Amino acid sequence: MGYSNETPLAGSLRRAMLDADPALSRYNPLSRILVFDQFNSGTHGWTELIGNHDGEGNLDTVDDHMRDFRPPQLSSCTFFDVGTHGAMTGTYALKVATRPLAGHTAVAIRRLTMAKKGLVQFETYFTYKAEAASEENGAARKAGAGDWDGNIHPSEQQFGAFTVATDICDDRGVRYHCVARYQNTDLQNRFTRRWMYPVVPEPTPREHLEGKAKLAATDDFTAPNPDDWRYFGEPQSFCYNEVPTKVNWHYLRWQLDTERQRNVELQVNDRVYDMRDVPVPAYAERYDSLDNLLNFYVSTRTHTDVRNFLFLDSVLISVDW
Amino acid sequence: MRQSQAAVLERYRVLEGDFATEPYETGWATEARWFVQVLRASSPAVRVVLTTQVSPDGLHWCDAEYPPQVCEGEGMISWPVREFGQWLRIRGSVEGDEGSVKVQIYLTLKE
Repeated sequence: MGYSNETPLAGSLRRAMLDADPALSRYNPLSRILVFDQFNSGTHGWTELIGNHDGEGNLDTVDDHMRDFRPPQLSSCTFFDVGTHGAMTGTYALKVATRPLAGHTAVAIRRLTMAKKGLVQFETYFTYKAEAASEENGAARKAGAGDWDGNIHPSEQQFGAFTVATDICDDRGVRYHCVARYQNTDLQNRFTRRWMYPVVPEPTPREHLEGKAKLAATDDFTAPNPDDWRYFGEPQSFCYNEVPTKVNWHYLRWQLDTERQRNVELQVNDRVYDMRDVPVPAYAERYDSLDNLLNFYVSTRTHTDVRNFLFLDSVLISVDW
Repeated sequence: MRQSQAAVLERYRVLEGDFATEPYETGWATEARWFVQVLRASSPAVRVVLTTQVSPDGLHWCDAEYPPQVCEGEGMISWPVREFGQWLRIRGSVEGDEGSVKVQIYLTLKE
């Protein structure tokens, strides 16, 4: 991950220093590390996303589809069969968990701003799971559950999708979202295992207030119409590892260019997807109060009445400025 | 500096009959305190009875060793819990006049 003004020697020295730190050596940061969040030591600014509210603090004024994105949890990845699994770094990971309700989405967000335009990179080690079945949750009888063949576990088809995304606004009020979603199953709980992006900007509270958008509680807040999503790349399978209680961590690196208002590329384990030509629609209207906004969010969305979980071991966000 | 976290487990949610909050992981914390705010009760006679539950795995639950808490009408109640293990939730019921309540429920945690 070279840095444009860096000499080869400076780049080698920088990499050598990263490699000397076991926690950083697993990452490939750009020249300046903006945040390095190891969730074994807290939530590090990752919080629940919520829609905007009125001047009275009346949360009834929050849009229905943006008022229940669930608080992220510090999870020891503990399961009924083995007890505590633990994270990749220490005991705790950040867990983003949905309700057991088809269409429900859980979202955790990290809020930053930009000191300059240029390259921005989000890296994480992640895994995802559907909740294991119990008598109380009835997951074994919910949509998506199939027969157990000793390899593919019924719960794997009960995980819907996870998303990495941004909310970015430049100093002229031009606002846009770079978005990459892994769709594990379609809305009928059939494996698709594809990466996708939306071709419309996310509906905002202002658009709702202006009467341009009104979504229901379980509508897909990133882009509510399934026809507004496009696949990119070939299908990609991950190491779900057969059952909902084994945790294998996956590497993800996603690079953006805030000068060009575009994605650059997405690496997930052994695949690298060129995203330079993926369209990133900006809002037609200008936004105030968001100068140099740089938010990252992660979400998970269930397509059946079973809780879905996205776990992050750690996150590193770096820039070339 | 001790780590702490506040989570909003229910936000302006209307409850009636029996309910349970979503499971919340608390293994890292030593102490916790619930805050249950009844923003609106369908009648002054409506009561909410709240029982703290614990779980080793987030799937199987039993009542913790704390007496049920009762909130009558509107207002906020709070109670502390300790030695709760890996997960916490509230099992509750709205009683009286087949009523309903609109609530905000916080779980606050400290290392």
